[in-house]
Amino acid sequence: MTGIDLHFEGLTKHYGPVRALDNFTHSFAGGQVHALIGKNGSGKSTFVRMLSGATAPTSGKIAVGAQDVEFRTPQEAMEAGVVTVYQELSLVPGLSVAENIFLGRLPRRAGGCLIDWTLLNRRAGELLSEMGAFDIDPHQAVETLSVGRQQVVEIVKASSLSPKVLLLDEPTSALAASEVEQLFALIRRLKARGVTIIYISHRLAELPEIADTVTALRDGTFAGSLPMEKAGTTEILDMMFGDMPPLEHAVRKVHDEVLLEAKGLSMAPWLTDVSFKLKKGEVLGIAGMLGAGRTELLHGIFGARKFDAGQLVMAGQDITDKSLAERKALGLAYASEDRKHAGLVLDHSIHANLVTAPLRSIARRGLTWVGLERPHVARQIGNLHIKVSDPMLPASSLSGGNQQKVVVGNWLNTSPRIFLLDEPGRGVDVQAKHQIYQIIWEQASRGLSSIVVSTELEDLAECCDRVIVLHDGSVTAEFVGSEIDAKRLYAATMA
Amino acid sequence: MTNTSTTLTSRQPHHYADFLRRHSMLLILMAFYVLVALTGRGFMTLDNQLNILRTIAVPGMIAFGMTLLIIVGEIDLSVGSMVAVSACITAWMVKFLSSGAFEPSVIVVVLGMCSAIGFAIVVGQFNGILRHRIGVPTFISSLAMMATLAGVANLITNGVPIESFPSWYYVIGSGRLFHIPVPVYLLAAAFATTFVISKYTALGREIYAVGGNIEAARLSGINVWRTKTICLIITSVFAAIGGIVYSSLINSGNSTIARGLELEVISACIIGGVSLFGGKGSIWGTFVGVLFLGVLLNAMTLWGFNPYAQQVVKGMLILGAVFVNFAIDRR
Repeated sequence: MTGIDLHFEGLTKHYGPVRALDNFTHSFAGGQVHALIGKNGSGKSTFVRMLSGATAPTSGKIAVGAQDVEFRTPQEAMEAGVVTVYQELSLVPGLSVAENIFLGRLPRRAGGCLIDWTLLNRRAGELLSEMGAFDIDPHQAVETLSVGRQQVVEIVKASSLSPKVLLLDEPTSALAASEVEQLFALIRRLKARGVTIIYISHRLAELPEIADTVTALRDGTFAGSLPMEKAGTTEILDMMFGDMPPLEHAVRKVHDEVLLEAKGLSMAPWLTDVSFKLKKGEVLGIAGMLGAGRTELLHGIFGARKFDAGQLVMAGQDITDKSLAERKALGLAYASEDRKHAGLVLDHSIHANLVTAPLRSIARRGLTWVGLERPHVARQIGNLHIKVSDPMLPASSLSGGNQQKVVVGNWLNTSPRIFLLDEPGRGVDVQAKHQIYQIIWEQASRGLSSIVVSTELEDLAECCDRVIVLHDGSVTAEFVGSEIDAKRLYAATMA
Repeated sequence: MTNTSTTLTSRQPHHYADFLRRHSMLLILMAFYVLVALTGRGFMTLDNQLNILRTIAVPGMIAFGMTLLIIVGEIDLSVGSMVAVSACITAWMVKFLSSGAFEPSVIVVVLGMCSAIGFAIVVGQFNGILRHRIGVPTFISSLAMMATLAGVANLITNGVPIESFPSWYYVIGSGRLFHIPVPVYLLAAAFATTFVISKYTALGREIYAVGGNIEAARLSGINVWRTKTICLIITSVFAAIGGIVYSSLINSGNSTIARGLELEVISACIIGGVSLFGGKGSIWGTFVGVLFLGVLLNAMTLWGFNPYAQQVVKGMLILGAVFVNFAIDRR
């Protein structure tokens, strides 16, 4: 069965002055699986949003088959046969599998007053077995299923809408290897039915297994398209990155003294046997995709979570069993990736947020007051160039970049020896991001060791002395000094 | 009627409108005060003014503890029962230790009070452990505690007030020093203590941080459960002290006192702008709330309101305060 073609002509979306997608012209042949790849911010999500009807293009045309379409709502897209499965699952956890599949169109009986449970469960069962998911019971509550199974239910739900085009937005990012297999089997079945599938993924290694073509976006523009059999890793990375000027990466001399040593750290199901050393004054980057266990590793080191096995040695002292407060006293600091929910008290003043972590060390005999804290607040505002008219204004009044600097400043006020930074560049404008990396770099030359976690691998390339790659919970590669470059890091993390 | 937020939380730039917004409850109190002064017969006499202060002393004291507790993100609904049980424990202990002597010694009375306060500490600690180890919300555990403690109070007295106190005991509740009722001094002491804690101690800042964003506080190395437990204990102890004052006022350990006091205490906090979502509020704000309640009740009595109508007015007032509280938080 040959499926329906998709054509895009000059598809463009502007958000204010930002061109999220610019003049995208391409055709996807019917009945095939087309991989769509690109770095963060390359325009993939914008593309998905336009094709799924979540947002309207600024200009350009979309054609499904021979027909030009204009989706104003996701409903319209669905009626035209374009169904999207989003990265975040949209199932109702407390309802059964069958209810979720037929949500909003449950079969009725007795003149539409009652739900026809028998019919509902039978039809859901049929759909599940048609798709090869024999092991999922339609009566089961969705919340009892693993994330992988939930993803399967989500796709079965999508397939029950008889799609002509199916958009899958990073369906494997949260799945284990065995679950990925089941998902691929499902995708192949849909393909055999003639559904045209657009498959968005960060995992380059799985593409040859499932995709027929691979298309790349770069900085909001079409960067090339290849049939899968002609696309090796080099070709794919070239499409994603283009010709990158080699980064001027200053190679510094780091101390030889090992400040932190991790030996065989494990934390089910995220980490298995992770070992590394951190030297004094070194900036160590940890690269890895979402779900690779990066945040869990930092939480474990900081004492916010427990490791199942392994040992942590800081400056010759075993700190494996020490509490978070004790580790903080020893000089560990942690800036969370989620500053709104775990880093700042947004309603409280900038002043208060800059002295939360060092509160006890600033206080004299448990007593503290604004005047006593002011020098610490002023120092960080000055050193970190935090743009603030009055430190007594709430932290929520600051821009993302300045909020992030407050999080960093709060911890620098504790005079840490090791600074753990989780996604310090997330939601921060470019200039502020560079300033933050500059600060980390400056502190490093004064002897502060840092561990930086980021999905923005260019950022790691910019600020790290050494980068280790975390993949499925294990360290799979290491790059030192001049070896560090963004393309290599991408190749290693996406393998 | 807004959060009279101090520099501890955040300060807006000084604008006229902003000043009004932050001190609106105080302005309402002042306007209301003037109104009552002009219309209420006998309102402005010194005795009546002191009487207002004396009436609000116990609920006010507990409200200061409750303010810290609500700011840290918890609540205690059992304070009314704690007042009753504390009065009964004190009276029972005095009776027990003096073997029913006619004029028990000072030491015996002090021991009686200490055991009531000790009991309050244990209960506060217990609620803290329940919250931390088992994850029972204090809204639930203190509701259970409200019933339990009321029962304990009844068990102690067996329904009959225990009259065991020495003749000088009335001083705590009804005595005067420099013409000012003794409970007012206790209220002042409770105000000073909680005010200093909230504004000038590391603990106080931690209370705001934990209530404002518990995860951020935890990741800042703050012992959030210890902070919460301390607030639970402070509130519980203030309630126990309140019980001692009441036992002195009625000169006996009576298990039926202070029914529903928690309502008055919590409404004072809410009227004073303490956010029910935690992280925001001030001792000063609660003090204004307490005063407002006291003046209102006094005024309604002077105006000759039907006592049942007074209850309705009180209830509606709380509803209004909660409404404003929510509206401010959602802004």
